[in-house]
Amino acid sequence: MTIAVANKTSGKKHAGASIDQPDQAPSTLNRLLGYMIGGDQRSRFILGVITRVVALLGLTALPFITGQAMNVISEPGGSLDQLYRWVLYGFIAGVIYLLFSFFSDRLFARMATHGLLQLQTTLFSNLQTLSMGFFFKNPPGELSSNITNDAEVVSLFYTSAVGQLIRAVLQVIMILIVMLVINWKLTIVALITVPFLLLAIYVITNIASPAFAKLQENLGEISAFQEETLAGRKVIISKRRQEWAREAHEGQAADVYRVGRRAFFASLMQFPLTQTLAIFQNVFVLVAGTFMVIGGETTLGVVMSFSGYAAILASPLAQIATLITNALNAAAGGERVFKIIDERPTIKDAPDAVEYEFKGGEIKCIDVDFSYVPGRKILRHNTFDVQPGEKIGICGPTGAGKSTLINILTRYYEIDSGTILIDGQNLQKLTQESLRKQIGVVLQEAFLFTDTVMNNLKYANADATDEDCIEAAKKANAHDFILELPQGYDTLLTERGANLSQGQRQMITIARAMVADPRMLILDEATSNVDTRTEKLIQDGMRNLMEGKTSFSIAHRLATIRDSAKIMVLNGGEIVEYAPHAELMANQGFYYALYMSQFKGKAPGGAQAADVDFIST
Amino acid sequence: MVKSFRRIFGLVRLHRFRFFLSQFMMFIAALATVGYATLIAPLVNQGMVEGNAEAALRIGIWMLLLGLVMGICMAIAASQAVFFSQGAGYVVRSFLYEKIQAYSFENFDHLSTGNLMVRLNADAVNVQNATQYAIMLGSYAPFMLLATIILAVINTPALVWVLGVVVVAVLLLMWSLIPAVDRAYKERQERLDDLNQTLQENLTGISVVKAFVREDYEIEKFNQRAEAIRVPALAAAWRVAFLSPLLTGVGQMAIILTIGVGGTQVLSGTGLTVGEVSAFTSYMSLIIAPLALMAIVIPLILRGDVSASRILEAYDAEPVIVDKEGALTLDPENIKGHITFENVSFAFRRTDGKLDPPALKNINLTIEPGQKVGFLGATGAGKSALINLIPRFYDVTEGRITIDGIDVRDIPQDNLRQIVGIALQEAVLFQGDMRFNLKFGNPEVEDRVMFEAAKASDSYGFIDNLPEKWEAPVARRGYNFSGGQRQRLSINRALTTEPKIIVLDDSTSALDASTEGRVQEAIPGFMHGATTIYVAQRISAVIDLDHIYLLENGKIIAQGNHEELLQSSPLYQEIYESQLGGGVTAGLDLEGVS
Repeated sequence: MTIAVANKTSGKKHAGASIDQPDQAPSTLNRLLGYMIGGDQRSRFILGVITRVVALLGLTALPFITGQAMNVISEPGGSLDQLYRWVLYGFIAGVIYLLFSFFSDRLFARMATHGLLQLQTTLFSNLQTLSMGFFFKNPPGELSSNITNDAEVVSLFYTSAVGQLIRAVLQVIMILIVMLVINWKLTIVALITVPFLLLAIYVITNIASPAFAKLQENLGEISAFQEETLAGRKVIISKRRQEWAREAHEGQAADVYRVGRRAFFASLMQFPLTQTLAIFQNVFVLVAGTFMVIGGETTLGVVMSFSGYAAILASPLAQIATLITNALNAAAGGERVFKIIDERPTIKDAPDAVEYEFKGGEIKCIDVDFSYVPGRKILRHNTFDVQPGEKIGICGPTGAGKSTLINILTRYYEIDSGTILIDGQNLQKLTQESLRKQIGVVLQEAFLFTDTVMNNLKYANADATDEDCIEAAKKANAHDFILELPQGYDTLLTERGANLSQGQRQMITIARAMVADPRMLILDEATSNVDTRTEKLIQDGMRNLMEGKTSFSIAHRLATIRDSAKIMVLNGGEIVEYAPHAELMANQGFYYALYMSQFKGKAPGGAQAADVDFIST
Repeated sequence: MVKSFRRIFGLVRLHRFRFFLSQFMMFIAALATVGYATLIAPLVNQGMVEGNAEAALRIGIWMLLLGLVMGICMAIAASQAVFFSQGAGYVVRSFLYEKIQAYSFENFDHLSTGNLMVRLNADAVNVQNATQYAIMLGSYAPFMLLATIILAVINTPALVWVLGVVVVAVLLLMWSLIPAVDRAYKERQERLDDLNQTLQENLTGISVVKAFVREDYEIEKFNQRAEAIRVPALAAAWRVAFLSPLLTGVGQMAIILTIGVGGTQVLSGTGLTVGEVSAFTSYMSLIIAPLALMAIVIPLILRGDVSASRILEAYDAEPVIVDKEGALTLDPENIKGHITFENVSFAFRRTDGKLDPPALKNINLTIEPGQKVGFLGATGAGKSALINLIPRFYDVTEGRITIDGIDVRDIPQDNLRQIVGIALQEAVLFQGDMRFNLKFGNPEVEDRVMFEAAKASDSYGFIDNLPEKWEAPVARRGYNFSGGQRQRLSINRALTTEPKIIVLDDSTSALDASTEGRVQEAIPGFMHGATTIYVAQRISAVIDLDHIYLLENGKIIAQGNHEELLQSSPLYQEIYESQLGGGVTAGLDLEGVS
């Protein structure tokens, strides 16, 4: 079972992220970190921290070394030998710092990209297991853009926040220790500005961070508006509302400007503030140091190294504050990601589910009720039989529940009550995979993937050979036009098959369904805009596909289902008629009215439609 | 160089004072910074070396003041930089969008929605960034560099070469890192787009995935593409992370080098003082940051230029259709709705200005006031092209179209589109409420008209069933309504403007025949003698109209009412047979038998 496998692998792979133990409820950040540094990444993480510590040892030694070198040249009796020894030490420390920083940064970058990959693949794998209801509630455009944006925020957290935060914290701690060891009084002087720095950063982030969040929101708003009005440009032009669009857009652009100015100004303030405070810090150290040198408490070298320490202390301190804000943003994004990861399919195979065994394709529906939203029944008391190999046409007004019937027969959705038996086997006791492998579906919207024609055909069945696919294409009347494409079967179909006509796409989807070679079929007739010749080709293709199989075809044009063994007429979620065409016409009931309405009084023989109560939504 | 960026940056001229203020402030900030660094030497010399505490204190206070001045000046300059950069974003967005609103259909044929979206968003942001950095660093960084070098030359000429070495080293290191980061980011972005497209395609086609039980395959595909991002993402990430330690490290080593070289001279007694050595080390740290920033900022400004040129390309496009000078506005009330096509030919224009093969050839037709006519034909037959010429969405290539005898090109577009209402096949609604959408073409109209139009378009019932009824929220593009509902709302919207000529461009295709019939029956009652034009592929949509034109390959190949066409046109017969034929007779026969 696909779904179970996907679940198991994702669970195993990321034991560190504790997907299997939601009861532990680790905080989102912990959980995010789990993907980056948990599990098999732990040793890499330890190595990363060790290299970072070594690098920082080099950095921390540097101001001390420069101080000692300054001592050599400022105090009487200093020799060149002594000077060069300190310079050599300095270079060694510098090289250690650079080299180990390099290793450490690479390790952390590796962990970051690894973490993101794990998170993305876990998310996607879980997404694939979810039932159709989830995708109905979350439209694809919105869902994918949310996932994309959240992944970007998390990516930023992984690549910058984690590594830099660790570096900044370690740097601050190590420098503080060294400073305290050398001279605690000067350390206090050097730290006087720190509370101001932290306060300033705190204030700035408190202004900038919500402003940036608001800016992001405004930018999303404005681009959604732009997209909507560009897509609806013909309406705007024809309804002469350009001025409205311009004004509404200008208002939104002005919002972006206002919020953007606040956000960027606040965040830019960080630079002059840290710079000024760094200068203050240095002056305090130098002046206080001068007094201490004069008082004989310390040496010029020590003061100079403190001046150096102050310089490399300010920027990590400022960083810590901003990075923490970053991390909080990531937590919000991560929370949404985990919500999807923690989502479980609403339709699961029963524990005692068995494989569906094909015995001709008999279908029995007994008193089936269905609703997408509780309380709003779409199908009511549907009871019907389909004999093996029978072709059933389904028709009815818009919203009568025609497409819904497909969704329950394929078990994309679970019925509220009643029973569906396929070859005597209860639908709810069958594995979804075995069921779907036997029921082919050709949907109204001819969806094709961005891939070659051949791969699109093979999509239906991984084991199909090129010959199988070409054979299917021939039967679906698609072979000829495929050969006329620039690269024949190897032609790459662009986004959602845009370089083919709608009719051609339809024919490829029919061929694709043939490649799957299902035992039963459900066809949703396209309302597609094709010429009569193409339409004939499509219908021939469909007929070939249905040959000898139990099939349902949903018709928007009644002519296409006229030859069905039986026609199921739906109105308001109920089956109102169920008989062959001729019989239904003779009955002059609902179907007859539906059929005659197409002629609008122009039917041959002057027959008129009876008045019936259409329930259309 | 950076010509396009300069053209947009030229807007700065409107705020010349602010611009000079920003540059002056950055200049002062640079001076203060250099001044502060210069004072370090006397402080060390007079204070620590000579033991003059009072002098040290005095110098220290001066340094604090200079630091304060620097901070304030930078803050003022930053506020101006933000004003300009966000202002540039605002100007680019609203000017370009305003221009887009003036576009004709043909302009949109040449610039796709996606294309325009990139210009309005990503490109606008690039120009914004370029502006911000140009103002903050444009003169500051070079000035700092120059001032530091001059001071070094004056005060410590013996050490200037060390400065040269450091400048070269920093530039070399940046050059080795930054372009690689840029390349990696670009590659990452491309692959990320690829991944996002995979995700979106998967979600859009999720029912196909499930129907063929290909979840595993999809996961494999996604994993591969996600994995493909790792290499460029890693390449960018470690370089960006390493940038800061690299600069710190180089800065520290430069200090060591200075002390080594300077110290040798101090100890050899060349007259160089310890204070001068330490001042020199501060110069060194002063230039490393601006140098590094310049290396980061120059590519940003270049990118801003590329974006600016794309924005300007779209901005410089002129609307293809403009009102004729002196065009006379007609009173819609007096329009009867008599339409003629006189030998009309039409061809779409390609981006290179050449014409495509004609979509319409020598069309001649007359539509009488109040007539109901239909245009029937397959995709590409030229139906939409034909009706698009009436409200002048496109102009004819040859011939002319008149309404009540007046060439449509002599009527102002606004006026013309008030007269000609159209419901398009692609029924796009806008975010807002129901009332806003239905009154979109005429916000001033009374509710009564909207209600009537809703009844005529068979949408009154379902709107009235909504909990919020006429205030019901409409999502972007109207996605919270079904295709059939959107089409009826779109007809409703077109009717609400009470046009004299209404065109329904295949706008009932998602409705079942009975609903379509009800709508078609109700429209004349609402329209009171307006001319009605239907465009359709379904024969049932045109079957009972006064006159049907059958189009094929841009030509009218048959016309007449249903009965006439059934007699005269083999193609019409063929369509009829395929869509409607046979069944009724079968039913009637059977009726006869039973």
